[in-house]
Formats: sequence, C-alpha cells, structure tokens
Amino acid sequence: MMSFKLQVILVVILLAALAVIVAMLKKRTLDLKYVLVWIFCLVVLLIFSIFPGTMTKLARFIGIYSPVNMIFFLGFLLAVTIIFTLTVSLSRTTGKVRKLAQMMALENDTWKKENEEAETGAGVYAEHEQAHEELHLQ
Amino acid sequence: MKKLIIIPAYNEQESILDTVRDVEKNAPEFDYVVVNDCSKDDTLKICREHHIHVLDLPINLGIGGAVQTGYLYAYRNGYDIAAQIDGDGQHDASYLGMMADELVSEDLDMVIGSRFIDNEGFQSSWIRRSGIHFFTMLMRVLFGKTITDATSGMRLCNRRTMELFIRDYPRDYPEPETVARLLRHKYKVKEVPVKMRERSGGVSSISPRKSVYYMVKVTLAIFMERLR
Repeated sequence: MMSFKLQVILVVILLAALAVIVAMLKKRTLDLKYVLVWIFCLVVLLIFSIFPGTMTKLARFIGIYSPVNMIFFLGFLLAVTIIFTLTVSLSRTTGKVRKLAQMMALENDTWKKENEEAETGAGVYAEHEQAHEELHLQ
Repeated sequence: MKKLIIIPAYNEQESILDTVRDVEKNAPEFDYVVVNDCSKDDTLKICREHHIHVLDLPINLGIGGAVQTGYLYAYRNGYDIAAQIDGDGQHDASYLGMMADELVSEDLDMVIGSRFIDNEGFQSSWIRRSGIHFFTMLMRVLFGKTITDATSGMRLCNRRTMELFIRDYPRDYPEPETVARLLRHKYKVKEVPVKMRERSGGVSSISPRKSVYYMVKVTLAIFMERLR
C-alpha cells in the first residue's frame, strides 16, 4: 500500500499543477486543444492517488507489486504520449512555417514589377510624346 | 522553352556575384533566381545593389526549403526546365545548356552533373568520396540503378519532377534523398560528366563534426524512401 504521507504529497503536487494549468488557460497563454491531454493525465493520476485501492488489482495483473509504482508507471506512459504528440505537432508546424515563409518570399518578389517598370520607362517616354502631340494640336 | 536556374545562397557574399556573372555569361538562355535563405552576411545587399533577381526568405529554412522555393517559383511561372547550382562557385554554368539538351532530347526527368564519370576536375577529399561511393552502392542495392554522384547540387529537371519537389522536399542534405525519391517513382534520371571547381568562398554545410550525422540521416532517409 501507499503511505499516507506520499499520498498527501502526490495530491498536493497534482492539484498545484492543475491550478497552474487552469490559471494559464484563463490568461489564454495555453491553447485548450493542447492542454486537454494534460488535464486528463492529471485527473487520472489524482484519482489513483486519492484511492490507491482502485488500482491494486490492475497493478497485480500487470505484475507490479506496489500501487505507488503503478502511479509512476502510468505517469511515465502518459508523459511519453504527450511528448510524442508534441513532436508530431511540431513537425506539422515546421511544415506550415516553411510554406508560409516561401509564400512570403514569392509574394514580396518585386523584381519582375521593377523590371517591367524599367521597360515601361519607354511608356513614360510615350506619354511625354503624347503630351507633345497634344500641345501641337492646340 | 523557358529555363530557370535556381541558386540557393546562405552567407555567400564572397562568391554570389561571381556565380551570377558566370550564369549570365555561360548560360545566357536561362533565366536565374537567387534564393537568399536569410543570410546573416551581405548576400542580400549585394544582390539588390547589382539588380540580381533574388527571392528573400524571411526565416532560415535550410538548403532544402530554399531550393524548394526556387522550384515553386519555377513551377508557378511556367518554366519548362528548372536547374539548380550551388551559390559557392563550385559549379560551372556552361554545362547547363548541354544538360538541358540532354533532358529534352532523351525525355528525361532529371539530369545530374557528376564529378565521378570522367573523374576530372575537383574531386573532393577521399573521405567525402568514400561517403559518396557508399551512397552509390546503397542506391544500386535498393533501387537497382547506378548514380555516381548523388550528392551533386548541380542538377536539372522537368515540370513533372518539379511537381514532386513542390509537394515535398527534405529540409537539410536533400540531394541524395531526392534522387532516391525519383528512382522510387521510376523517373528517368541520367548523369552527365562535369568538372567542378573547389568552392571559391563560404564554408560547406557539412563540417567534420556534422559528417557522422549527415551519413546517418541521409542513409536513413534513403532507406525510408525504399519503404514508402
């Protein structure tokens, strides 16, 4: 079984973490989409910390002798899952940022326009001529 | 037929001007565009001062992202052929015309300029050569085709290949991986002999420290290409 002392420590840590997350959500520094999995993780660990008896059977079944280890194991699994999903979303974001930068480079490409303007320098000249002709007509 | 040369440049202030002049002089039938990959030196300034056509990336994307920008530009502006040379002055632009003729006349998807067919010109250090030979062997085993210089950054392709490159292009060290991709798709790739020079400025993206990472990453990428 788990000592009462450890139980208290675990519950306090988990509640504190939950409080921090909620506070950050309020300030909108965190995106709920990415935080849901953290909240889920914390709640699961919280339940098992408060009622360690609930998972004694599960722990025995997997071959873990102490429920405390079960909590650590579970925490580890959930953390790895979260880290992996972060790697996935980082890869996606990198791709998006790349696309964005490329579009920006193409969009800001004024070279062609400048060159056309340089060519239509002849256009400006033509306008001058036209103005001259108009003057002549008058 | 519209032809474009893509020149990716990252901190190439010493050599970019020479590279561009070489292109203007020795490959006059090509348009060209420099892709400045957010250089920290004066590459962009030099290009602007000399009215060189330059696409300016707002953030550093790595060689792959820079080259892909060039292909994107080529594809969108209706170029039939896009070529690619390094901005460090290694490649001699006078070969590009011949490479383009080869591409058209033999209806190829990509032509690569290889140092190791005639073994002439700058041959790189023995350690790099053995790395390149390893890739040759690997691709022969995996794809049944001999590519003597898969790391060559001097290459030329048609619109079909551009489409493939626009969809997906590796971030860093893209050359061998992209060749493997073309071979997997059964695209027609051919090498022609070229002579290369020693780089005239800048530093290689592959330092000795990174070379182990380079070999591992590229080897893995080629294997992944086979698995796809």
